[in-house]
Amino acid sequence: MSNQPSIALVDANNFYVSCERIFDPRLEGKPVVVLSNNDGCVIARSQEAKVLGVNMAASWGSIAAEAAAKGVIARSSNYELYGDISARCVELLGRFTSSQEVYSIDESFIRLTGTVEQVSAIAREIRLATKKLIGLPVSIGIAPSKTLAKLANRGSKSSRALQGVCNLGAYSPEQLTAILGSVEVGEVWGIGSRTAQKLVGMGIHTAADLRDTDAVQLRRRFGVTQERVVQELRGIDCLPLEEMRADREQIQFSRSFAVPISTVAELEEVLSVYTQRAAARLREQGSLARMMSCTASTSPFRDNHVSHAVSLAFPSPTDDPVEMYRAAITALGPQLQGNQQYVRVGVSLYEFSPRESHAALDIFGTDPTPFAAGAVLDSIAAKYGQENLGLGRAGLKTNRAWTMRREMVSPRATTHWDELITVAAK
Amino acid sequence: MHAQNPLVSPVSGVSTDAGQRFIQQAPESVHAGFPSPAQGYYNGPVDLNRHLIRDPTSTFIVRVSGDSMTGAGIFDGDEVIVDRSLEARDGSVVIAVVDNELTIKRLRLGDGTVRLVPENPAYPDIVLHEMTELSVWGVVTRCLHRV
Repeated sequence: MSNQPSIALVDANNFYVSCERIFDPRLEGKPVVVLSNNDGCVIARSQEAKVLGVNMAASWGSIAAEAAAKGVIARSSNYELYGDISARCVELLGRFTSSQEVYSIDESFIRLTGTVEQVSAIAREIRLATKKLIGLPVSIGIAPSKTLAKLANRGSKSSRALQGVCNLGAYSPEQLTAILGSVEVGEVWGIGSRTAQKLVGMGIHTAADLRDTDAVQLRRRFGVTQERVVQELRGIDCLPLEEMRADREQIQFSRSFAVPISTVAELEEVLSVYTQRAAARLREQGSLARMMSCTASTSPFRDNHVSHAVSLAFPSPTDDPVEMYRAAITALGPQLQGNQQYVRVGVSLYEFSPRESHAALDIFGTDPTPFAAGAVLDSIAAKYGQENLGLGRAGLKTNRAWTMRREMVSPRATTHWDELITVAAK
Repeated sequence: MHAQNPLVSPVSGVSTDAGQRFIQQAPESVHAGFPSPAQGYYNGPVDLNRHLIRDPTSTFIVRVSGDSMTGAGIFDGDEVIVDRSLEARDGSVVIAVVDNELTIKRLRLGDGTVRLVPENPAYPDIVLHEMTELSVWGVVTRCLHRV
């Protein structure tokens, strides 16, 4: 067992709560919850809040009084802060690996190479680094495949003795079987609830049972995705890391939501924000884009998984958010299903050309922009703040569910000069 | 058009929005076809972020409230740059957690004691009995003071 490449899943502990704690030491050791947009329901809980029995997704309106009596402190979600802390964490993790997949705002898969002991030592170093440099506690699960790394990550959180690092490579085959035998099949990454029911009906109750199932037989019944899960549980790496495109050939704005969105209006609003952000980045680097793709998908681990993707070419290369938003709605809008729970939406721009190289050709463009909307939006956003002007639905400020009620929101301490945190000199 | 002469473009202060960095415009993009002979020597305007911030990932900017550090040139309302990756040593100005509050003090180590010392005689030292009681949030590297 030497120098096997391992996959580590680095997962921030109670990420939103941990972000709040970085800048407010009073929250340390206290039961803390973070509420969804509109202060609607609980989307993150500190360990102390979990122990008190505060449930995930509980409606805050109905539990606020009781929770407050128990000393629970609530915070409105501060996505700008969480996004900045997440970006810092991604950069820091990149120092330890050459291969990284940012899976969500608080999870990254990274590839580590070395002996079991060496890899565990790197993982411990990563934990110390995120805590010291950023203030963020993380847990790390290490295994030969992503599916097992996910499982190991759960282990790293369940046993205090592991001190936040669980390396499955350190266990004997017998111990590994016992570990997998303790995990219900429905809790395996990639097994949806309905599939889990069917598996249980077939006598497959645990991750160990699933691992020892005949993969070919499973593929016939459930398809290749489930077969891959079996291979992954056997330690065969079948799901390659989807690395971020670090080059400047593509700009991607894609996020998973902690709470799914389900109405077409909400999706249009998200698309409107994402096209504006993507266009702003495009202008920062002085490029025009010829192609755009938009995606919206429900959870791949739920049954009836739905995923829409459209690609389109602009009549002439553009950096205009108005054109991008119109194109996104026109192309993707008709496909969206109002009753679905979308958890991920993305906008990608590609096929770039330098903005200046098109200057001489502007007169041939099909839609001469009456004014440089993008540049105007940028300058107003810079002057009056990101949320005071927007296109389409995102421009209807008072109607924005995500920004309507955030009564207990902490300062955006890392992205707004007038919201820096204060330290006492007394 | 967006063509801009970078030599006369306004230089703003430290840009804290948008990822704490300047968006530099390369002079190459200004005049297609007629590169300036000075181009090879031009590296953009002085970038305060580059000079004041060693590691953006571990650096935070916080605002000071109070006058206990005036002796160190840090005044009420000043912003200070804090690098969490640095080790606090004897003499470092640090942001420390005291009574669940972030506070700015000078760290004094020696004679078996740990002291958090204000730079203003009107305020008392905080003496910690053990190193383990010390919780350093970050080390202050710069003070931004309006003159």
